Amino acid sequence: MPLWKNLSVIRKVVQLLAFLFLVYGSVFVGFYSADKLSGAFPALACAYDAKTADYCVLIPLQHQLGHLLGPAINAGAFGLSVIMPILTTLGTFLILFVLLNKTFCGWLCPLGFFQEVLGMIGQKLRLNRTESLDDKLVDRIRPAKWLMLGLLVILLPLASGLGFVGHELGDPFCKICPSRILTSLFAGQLNQLYIDTSSVGFMILSIIADLLFGLILVLSLTMRQPFCRICPLLAMHALFRKVGLVKLVKNYTSRCDKCGLCAKACPMDIREIHTSKEKDILMPDCTLCGRCVEFCPDKGVMAMKYAVIPIIVSDPQYFKARNKAQKAWEGRQKPSRRSNKA
Amino acid sequence: MKKRILMGASLAVALFNFTAHAAMLWSPAPAKHGHGGHDRHAAKSYLLHDGAGASIQLINPKLNAMPMTAEQGRVSVKAMGMDNYHALVATRSDGSHHESAVRYVYMFGKPSGESPSLLMGHEKAALELEPAPYAREHWRYLTSTDALFILRFKGDPVAFADVKMTTGNGTRLEFKSDAEGRLSIPLPEDFPAVKPGRMGNRPAEFVLSATHESNGKTFATTFSADYHINPDHWQSTPLGLAVVGGGMLLGGLITWRSRRRKEKK
Repeated sequence: MPLWKNLSVIRKVVQLLAFLFLVYGSVFVGFYSADKLSGAFPALACAYDAKTADYCVLIPLQHQLGHLLGPAINAGAFGLSVIMPILTTLGTFLILFVLLNKTFCGWLCPLGFFQEVLGMIGQKLRLNRTESLDDKLVDRIRPAKWLMLGLLVILLPLASGLGFVGHELGDPFCKICPSRILTSLFAGQLNQLYIDTSSVGFMILSIIADLLFGLILVLSLTMRQPFCRICPLLAMHALFRKVGLVKLVKNYTSRCDKCGLCAKACPMDIREIHTSKEKDILMPDCTLCGRCVEFCPDKGVMAMKYAVIPIIVSDPQYFKARNKAQKAWEGRQKPSRRSNKA
Repeated sequence: MKKRILMGASLAVALFNFTAHAAMLWSPAPAKHGHGGHDRHAAKSYLLHDGAGASIQLINPKLNAMPMTAEQGRVSVKAMGMDNYHALVATRSDGSHHESAVRYVYMFGKPSGESPSLLMGHEKAALELEPAPYAREHWRYLTSTDALFILRFKGDPVAFADVKMTTGNGTRLEFKSDAEGRLSIPLPEDFPAVKPGRMGNRPAEFVLSATHESNGKTFATTFSADYHINPDHWQSTPLGLAVVGGGMLLGGLITWRSRRRKEKK
């Protein structure tokens, strides 16, 4: 299969370009926020990276809830000057999100790309990979993203603004976000990898951040996209996924129940895509990577569309070629030591 | 409250001490009645030292200038409804001697749609210290880091010129611009006491001053801003690396245990 026809290869190229742009892009779009793309980007690009081209929507959202909304509720002065910045942030996010939907996760997020690269390294190091997580474990992990969004992005910043909790919890998600450490390291800065000893709260948050980063470094080698499963942006995207122009659609056939190759291909272990009889199968956990469409062997059963325009439609010939390419990629590796023993 | 007034007064005294022999400059004014709290739209006050007879203007991110008046050297900058950096500029001339003082003030409001690069690069006075770049959001001027500037005269870089730095903590240093007019100013570690945490440490002021002669006329300018204690004092990278290592070990343990469980099945 020619590389330019392989959707996964095309996606990796786009991810690499997005990574370079989001981590080093200020070289092209300027140093200050107003030079940047939006200031409310729907992926984990970080303002603490000195060279970033744009930053994540969760940064202004936490600040506005903590520094604007909380104090305004306390003072009983709830006016346009409070609501407009929050609406501007959400509006900017929404405009971008309508254009590209959840592809911000699967095609543009720097942390998502980094985890996938680590996964590829894990394959090449012959580490025994867990291709699909246990269903029960997946079900247990799924609510975590809502907890991260509700607690770390909304409730705690608001509680900090209202004075119920300390200022340490003004932007708690940023304090533990692995993308803050990752993108600043790639920008040549060590200043985001630290333990903060100034207060117990800051110390706990910095320990969680560094532990989480270490965990992701190792788990990504053998597990597909561990952090994406608990990312609050995945939850925020899930809230608005129906308004996005990029769609994932399915024409259910009776063969779908027996097959299940789409669910096996899914890096987020969304098993419902092969049993669902719905037309719209864009699930809350989906990152719109398109692997399910690539690995569907039946003609026209699955498709990724931009509004009504098909981007990729499942096709037996593509499936055969893609499967061959996948086996060729995996076949170049020697079997892992543990597999040999078995 | 009393403590804040005292701190404001001591800052003014400290600035007066090191500006007595220098030119006109801006500094934050001590609070008159408490402080502005966390109201991001509250007015900010600045003092213009040695500024008798100067004309003052506030330039917004779209380069629109608004004349300001000082009352006993004090200027109150109110939110004009536009976000981002504004430039507070004082200029004075007696025909042969031209002076300017510049300070950048962040104001909250609607997005201006303009990059601060436009304002920083805009010629606000004949002789000017242009931040290249100014410490933007999520960044500040910190001790033990370099602040970068370009000294410009009528828009052109001034090579090999002397620039003096004075800080509110008593440091006095001199620097020379390079062939392209660039200056790299190492901000000194001169805070007398360091408390853990950003909130426990108030910033101090630093002032850069430069002079230049052209066609028998002299030009002088100052740039002032605040600088903060470097968080390295309470943030440890080696400890951070150790905890990342711990996280990696934990990750390895989780992987090993899940593998063992699968093999048992």
